[in-house]
Amino acid sequence: MTAASDTAPAPRLVLTPYLFLLPAMLVTLAVVLWPVAETVWMSLHNFILFKPRNVPFIGLGNFWRLLHDEVFWLSLGHSLVWISLVVGLQFLLGLVTALLLNQTFWWRSLARSLVIIPWALPSVIIGLTWTWMYDFNVGVLNDVLIRFGLIDKPVAWLAQPDSAFISIVVALIWQGFPFFAVTILAGLQTISAELYEAADMDGATRFQRLRFITLPAIADVIATALLLRTIWVANSLDVILVMTGGGPGYSTYTLPLYAFLKAYSGMEFGYGSALAIMLTLLLLLVVFIYVRRAARELDQ
Amino acid sequence: MKRRHFIQTAGAAALGAPLITAPMIPSARAQTATVRWWYHFDNPQNTPNELIAQFEKDNPGIKIQAESIPWGGGGDYYTRLFAAIVAKNAPDCAMVKLSSQAQLLEMDALEPIDGLIKNWAGKADISDNIWNVNKAQDGKQYYMPLQYVVLYLYYRADWLQAAGLQPPKTYEEFLAAAKAMTRGDVSGFGMRGGGGGHDNWAPFVVGNGATFAKGGMVSEQALAGNRFYVSLARDHKVTPASAASDGFRQIVDGFKAERTGMIIHHIGSANELVTALGDKVSAVPVPRPANGKGWTMFGDESNALLSGSKNKDAAFKWISFLSSGANNVAFNKLTGQLPVTTSGATSWTLHPKRFVDASAASLPLAGVLPDSPKTADFARTVWPTSMQRALLGQVTPDDMMKTIEAHYNG
Repeated sequence: MTAASDTAPAPRLVLTPYLFLLPAMLVTLAVVLWPVAETVWMSLHNFILFKPRNVPFIGLGNFWRLLHDEVFWLSLGHSLVWISLVVGLQFLLGLVTALLLNQTFWWRSLARSLVIIPWALPSVIIGLTWTWMYDFNVGVLNDVLIRFGLIDKPVAWLAQPDSAFISIVVALIWQGFPFFAVTILAGLQTISAELYEAADMDGATRFQRLRFITLPAIADVIATALLLRTIWVANSLDVILVMTGGGPGYSTYTLPLYAFLKAYSGMEFGYGSALAIMLTLLLLLVVFIYVRRAARELDQ
Repeated sequence: MKRRHFIQTAGAAALGAPLITAPMIPSARAQTATVRWWYHFDNPQNTPNELIAQFEKDNPGIKIQAESIPWGGGGDYYTRLFAAIVAKNAPDCAMVKLSSQAQLLEMDALEPIDGLIKNWAGKADISDNIWNVNKAQDGKQYYMPLQYVVLYLYYRADWLQAAGLQPPKTYEEFLAAAKAMTRGDVSGFGMRGGGGGHDNWAPFVVGNGATFAKGGMVSEQALAGNRFYVSLARDHKVTPASAASDGFRQIVDGFKAERTGMIIHHIGSANELVTALGDKVSAVPVPRPANGKGWTMFGDESNALLSGSKNKDAAFKWISFLSSGANNVAFNKLTGQLPVTTSGATSWTLHPKRFVDASAASLPLAGVLPDSPKTADFARTVWPTSMQRALLGQVTPDDMMKTIEAHYNG
């Protein structure tokens, strides 16, 4: 023992791993933590972009204001419905697509490539494409529906509150379902075929195979995908901004869009920052719930 | 030499090289002023490169660094400009509109150019009317006029003729014409309820007597004008069902697709409409109230010299070059708008004459939105949101006007 201790190498400098991490930490500090700190600072001030000489500290004044802001509550309500509908339906469509793409057919590789296209397109292109598909005068959707006799006159899809909201949800479902499809497909391919063979021998139906083998096996993948997508959808505003700009009226306002418009249209960077921080706090709650759930499962 | 020493020596040499060589660089670079200029064109395929080349040839000591900035309905452009000013990284000069002059002045971002204009040979070629419109509230001149448009009424001449009607001059004649042209899936008036639609609304509301001064949006004339405008969609149903969300592209495409009989826009759309409809489309000034006064939007565009510029003289040479005679004509051929110079206007051939005439006939009615920091948000958010709510019946037309009154004077 003593001899072995005498010949042991001298302890290496413990700072070394931190030095290797330092560049990444500095980048994170510069591009994430600093802007977050700046946003918090702005949220505590009445910061209007075109009044840079007059930026008074108002403490929690912006947060007090948003609690009494009718449009904030309206946007929050829309955001909750929006996230539930978009994420939920993207997941269902993605699950069905993944199950289909996991089957064996001769053009499966092509199908797997094609399905990724909506996910690969820039959001602005998607917004513009769907805007013109929904267009009252020259849109292809009205044209097709009239030709099939499903409607007798064009519908102004983006000009009525209910149809505008649903129209954007449909566009977002189309954009986002490939993410679920590809993620779930990757999970499906990790399930051992022996499990299905055993289920067949036990006489399990297709639904029982899905319920007792497939879904439990990909539960973690689904949970992670749902979490990530919830955060992305909750933050997204580009497609709404392009398609309706929040209108007609406030009918397609969501929380990130409201924060964006307050900051970049009203130039109220202080109030816009407070709205953005409120959105972040709500999203942190989602992350916290997920982490708690995941930790509990690990303990079991 | 050990590897560590080699690296240290090489590093030191690399760091020191600029210090050693700097005095040896010829002084030509120091004598060249680079002018950063921000611009936006509706058609991004058009570039001002030929004008820049001509200017740099005439002014060998000045380089122009032209930066095309996305317009994004105005919001993108001004957010970037304001952010650049706050970050002290603004260009030397930039294209600007009157609706943002008050905000730029609030930021101390504009350099008065009265002294420079006084000695500029091209001053007399721009009419006093245009100089006066561009003057700030403090009486100083910050903007160098560059181009303009005036909003007027496009109409389907063949449809009106078939209905036995003349081009509308008054609100009543306008409603009668809209009703006459509304049939089946065709609407008489392509109302713009989406972004930018305030300049279609203003001829009926400001034109009827509304003002942006305290109480001016809730006066009886203002409320009556707004009720009339909203009633075109809600009561008379002479607008497309999509009016609440229609923007510029939708109203122009609807008109080209022969789905509407009248729209309000400026000469910038003339060639596109003529390509689609030929002689079937013509234009007159916007309708007016019975008292004949009326109002329409003067769509301005100028260049401003920014106060943070270190090359003010060079920058002024560039912006005055763009507002001079033939150069201004060449510039407006790129943007599709009208030259501000008297000499340019007389030789203008880019648009059919009837649209140039309609622009000229509209000038006596033309005005601008108030020179207030609140105007930009009014145009981008307050007006479209409250107009759409009124069109959908979520608020009354009078409540809409109270919202606008509160925005400006609350």
